[in-house]
Amino acid sequence: MKAYRNYVATWIMLLLACLASLLFGAGTLELGQAFAVLTGQGTENAQFIVMELRLPRLVIGVATGLALGIAGALLQTLTRNPLAEPGLLGVSAGSAFAVSLAILFGASTATLTTLISQAGALAGCSLVIAATRIQGVGQDPVRLVLAGATLTGLLLSLSSLLMLIDQRAADEIRFWITGSIAGKSWDQLTATMPSLLLAGAIVVGVARPLASLALGERVAMGLGHKPGRIRLMVILAVALLVGGATALAGPLVFVGLVVPFVARSLAGADIRKTLWLCLPIGPAIIIAADTLSRLLVAPSEMPLGVITAVIGAPVLMGIIRTRRIPAL
Amino acid sequence: MPNPLFVAKSLLISLVLAATFTNAAAHADTRIVQTAYGPVSIEGIPKRVVTLYEGALDAAIASGINPVGAIITRGGSDVAEYIQPKAKGVGIVGTPGETNIEAVIALKPDLILASAQLAKEQYNLLSRIAPTIVPNFPAFTPTTWKQETRLFTEALGRAETGRKVISGVENKIAEVAKLVDTKLGPDQRETALIRWMPQGPLVMSEGLFSASLLNATGFNVSSGGSVKDGRPHSHPLSQENLGLIDHQWIFLATLNADGNEALQAARKSPAFQRLKANRSGQIATVNGQLWTSASGPLAATEILNDIANTIDNVATNR
Repeated sequence: MKAYRNYVATWIMLLLACLASLLFGAGTLELGQAFAVLTGQGTENAQFIVMELRLPRLVIGVATGLALGIAGALLQTLTRNPLAEPGLLGVSAGSAFAVSLAILFGASTATLTTLISQAGALAGCSLVIAATRIQGVGQDPVRLVLAGATLTGLLLSLSSLLMLIDQRAADEIRFWITGSIAGKSWDQLTATMPSLLLAGAIVVGVARPLASLALGERVAMGLGHKPGRIRLMVILAVALLVGGATALAGPLVFVGLVVPFVARSLAGADIRKTLWLCLPIGPAIIIAADTLSRLLVAPSEMPLGVITAVIGAPVLMGIIRTRRIPAL
Repeated sequence: MPNPLFVAKSLLISLVLAATFTNAAAHADTRIVQTAYGPVSIEGIPKRVVTLYEGALDAAIASGINPVGAIITRGGSDVAEYIQPKAKGVGIVGTPGETNIEAVIALKPDLILASAQLAKEQYNLLSRIAPTIVPNFPAFTPTTWKQETRLFTEALGRAETGRKVISGVENKIAEVAKLVDTKLGPDQRETALIRWMPQGPLVMSEGLFSASLLNATGFNVSSGGSVKDGRPHSHPLSQENLGLIDHQWIFLATLNADGNEALQAARKSPAFQRLKANRSGQIATVNGQLWTSASGPLAATEILNDIANTIDNVATNR
């Protein structure tokens, strides 16, 4: 009964966040005008702002939130580390570095960026998994995060180096690195959608085996699963999800940490229940943060990446401080 | 291998010799110019000038002196494209934000021309290398570039040439203003000067060098209040706020070599497509290095040419 209430509450929060995202913006459009559009009326200008500017952002925010939340939950279960987060571990940074390289060499089409971004995420992901194999690092959650932070630092400084090489590309790269879903169009979403759907299919297939792997390799093997293959599938899914999200919104840190953390504290350690709760929580957090980003410094906008970092960093510290970090 | 002591000695001797020689050459021609950090006295005609400000490079070359060192333009990796042919072989000693002091020392300057933003700490270092001229005029006014050009050319010992160059630009402004007057009615001159970013436009201040030239030729540049006082441009504006720059004319500054490419990129955005100026085709793409980074008389001439060309393409409309 309690679980049921949690589901309903999180979905209601998502709905409220979506509504706020359509109603509030950095512009001068009045609330009543925006509301009129939702009821099928409104001036031509209001229609444009709500349907052409805010709606694509909303949908892209939903996709990004879903991808990052699920990727975080998967990575945390796989590495048995509640701090394993794509943004912290260098997966997003790998993806951003690849995109920066591509921009430097003149790439611009949305499709190309998605693929490159996912390739970068895959490379980053593989490095993380390799790091967990190093003696001592795999067992200690904080040390893994340290290894990831080192990788992130390295990749971000390399990206900065690229910005120095070509000032013209620098503006575009800088926009990527901070993370934002402003000014994104439907094209970018359609370019990323197939790979996100593929990742979703993988997640559906791998959720049950992953849950048994969480109980130990022997249990998983006893149930007829192949641990090596499960790991590979999970890594692939994480790379597709994080790469896709980064192509859409840039490297957003902490989202993959906060979303599964909230979900787990509501649902417990079972990855399947956690994943179900990540569905509403991920998008709700991104959309709420994006709406906030428009209101703080109007008539300009705060980059979304700044907001998620400001929300996420205290959560990370809270997790580390309040509990002896459990190995999952 | 030569004895290091010998090398040091001969270096010292040649330095002393050089110093005496320069002193002998610099006869009575000593000028005192007023700078942000007090009066600075300069002797003779400087031979090795380093400019740490694009407006200073421009003023020096306009008055017939080729600096030995300069900084890169914003968004580039060399001096601005418009001045490259005239500044061949100039050494690069930094960016608008950061001077490489060692590179300046290596050029052995006898005069350093800096921007009004030069910090005191930097000044203290630079003024030990050579007399350093830092202008002290209010920024972002229509006359800032003239005052700065006068100061720099005076320091260079070219005050007379400087005056001629400035009045040349003033004549050109009057010429283009007349052209604008014949082509555009007074109610067709609302203008915004922007750079398009993926998330939205950077709106340039009305006080920016190129914007003040647009105003001087009869256009009416407005940033819609989006630029804070003392800043060259706004933060990227939210696309919901394009109403602030929805004017009859848009001068779109681009850092791409191909302005058309930048315009096509901007047109991908539905919010940009809706702009008045886009619908009526009154968008002029202009070089961002020249229009949003440079200043000085040569830059003024180039910008005025751009304005004249833009206007030439317009059918007479009054």
